[in-house]
Amino acid sequence: MTWGLHTKDTPGMGRILVVDDEEIVRKVLKLTLTEAGYDVVLAEHGGKGIEAIGSDDNAFMVDVIICDIRMPKINGMEAIAFFRQQYPSVPIIVLTGFPDTKMATELFSQGVFDYLVKPMDKDKLLAAVQAAMARRLALTDKN
Amino acid sequence: MDATPATIRVLIVGAGKGGKALLELFASGPGVEVVGIADINPQASGFSLARNLGIPTSTDALSLIRGSRADLIVDVTGDPAVASLVAKHKPEKAEILGGTSAMLVWKLAQYERDLRDQLIQAEKLASIGTLASGIAHEINNPLYGITGLSDRLETETRPEVVKEYVHDIKQMSRRIADIVQDLNAYARKNSAEDVCDINLNETLEEALKMARRATVVDEVRVTTDFSRLPLIRGNPDELLQVFVNLVMNAVQAMEGKGSLTLSTGSTHGWVIASVKDTGPGIPAHLLGKIFDPFFTTKEQGKGTGLGLHIVRDIVIRCGGRVTVDSAPDKGACFTVKLPLPSEV
Repeated sequence: MTWGLHTKDTPGMGRILVVDDEEIVRKVLKLTLTEAGYDVVLAEHGGKGIEAIGSDDNAFMVDVIICDIRMPKINGMEAIAFFRQQYPSVPIIVLTGFPDTKMATELFSQGVFDYLVKPMDKDKLLAAVQAAMARRLALTDKN
Repeated sequence: MDATPATIRVLIVGAGKGGKALLELFASGPGVEVVGIADINPQASGFSLARNLGIPTSTDALSLIRGSRADLIVDVTGDPAVASLVAKHKPEKAEILGGTSAMLVWKLAQYERDLRDQLIQAEKLASIGTLASGIAHEINNPLYGITGLSDRLETETRPEVVKEYVHDIKQMSRRIADIVQDLNAYARKNSAEDVCDINLNETLEEALKMARRATVVDEVRVTTDFSRLPLIRGNPDELLQVFVNLVMNAVQAMEGKGSLTLSTGSTHGWVIASVKDTGPGIPAHLLGKIFDPFFTTKEQGKGTGLGLHIVRDIVIRCGGRVTVDSAPDKGACFTVKLPLPSEV
């Protein structure tokens, strides 16, 4: 499988990488997103997230990344910088437990697609993911 | 009359509440050296504080006065017989502050003490503000678990899955309750008079728990080297505040990555606790300023500039001392020395 991605021709709704150190958060996200028709891959911190998708030719296919900020090992900021550099066409939705305007501004300037504050409701999450998937398709169509 | 000396040497007559309040005030401020404190009552509360601070004490005011080099004798006894004895036997150049004037100074010292109590509480609440991002994260994660699973329970019919979700929700609720309980306990307004027996090892464990709540310390290697400690007397809330401040400072200095060592021990008459980090250390020119009020090197919103000032204030109240050993790139080690209850 090559890195690239969910396109109009890929079956299913697309694949999402969830990076969060909290087991319960990963569990709820997986249940919610799977039910909505997405394929979900879980990682418990930034390092595992990077490891999960890899960076070589055999890189794992991911359409959208949902990433927490405050995590041990490699934190969200470091992981996001890596994802943005390696996979600029994969939209990133940031999840945070604490809204911080300065951090949000910095994240958006790095090209983060959306910024959600936990506990967000299901509709808000799904709307953000849907918009990110549309963005993903638009970006891959251009290529 | 001679010009006022740079350091005023003060001798206090009366070691009860008033004398003790003056002693605390003079011990924490510059420009005053207390050269002795006397009281006819050997159990006077100011005596143990004076001994811990290395200040001579005596139940015989006259012998202390005769041999002293005091510039000023503050007589807070309010006893006319004591006042006339002091006047008769004082060193030639010493001035006397007694009667209503001494009462006024005592009242000012007590007022100052009340203000310090308020400052200690204000610093604690302000520091909780700076810990807010970590604590919000700690609460919002399980809260998301609860709301997310509750959403699913509305339509879930499989009994085993319902049971699993309810179990998770209960567990997350307990986690939030624990955090709120810890925060409440930490934030509550304590009375300065609330003194009890304390095992300092437990205080350090508790401070570490607060730090874990407030920040990601997974990347910090925490080593505890605790000795069996005799109990000390002190205000548990204030001492917890001392170590929460020191531990949080250490974690912040290391930016969440490094080694934190908490150790305790005891020597004759003292219990010693140290908090050591492997952060960037403190430059020599700042070492003399770190205990000053409102001095901070942290960016805005991350520190009040009062933390170490309050640490020193509380430690002095307990008759103890706090010192720092640090150099650039060598980390920092704060050592708190607290006295064992003295045997009067």
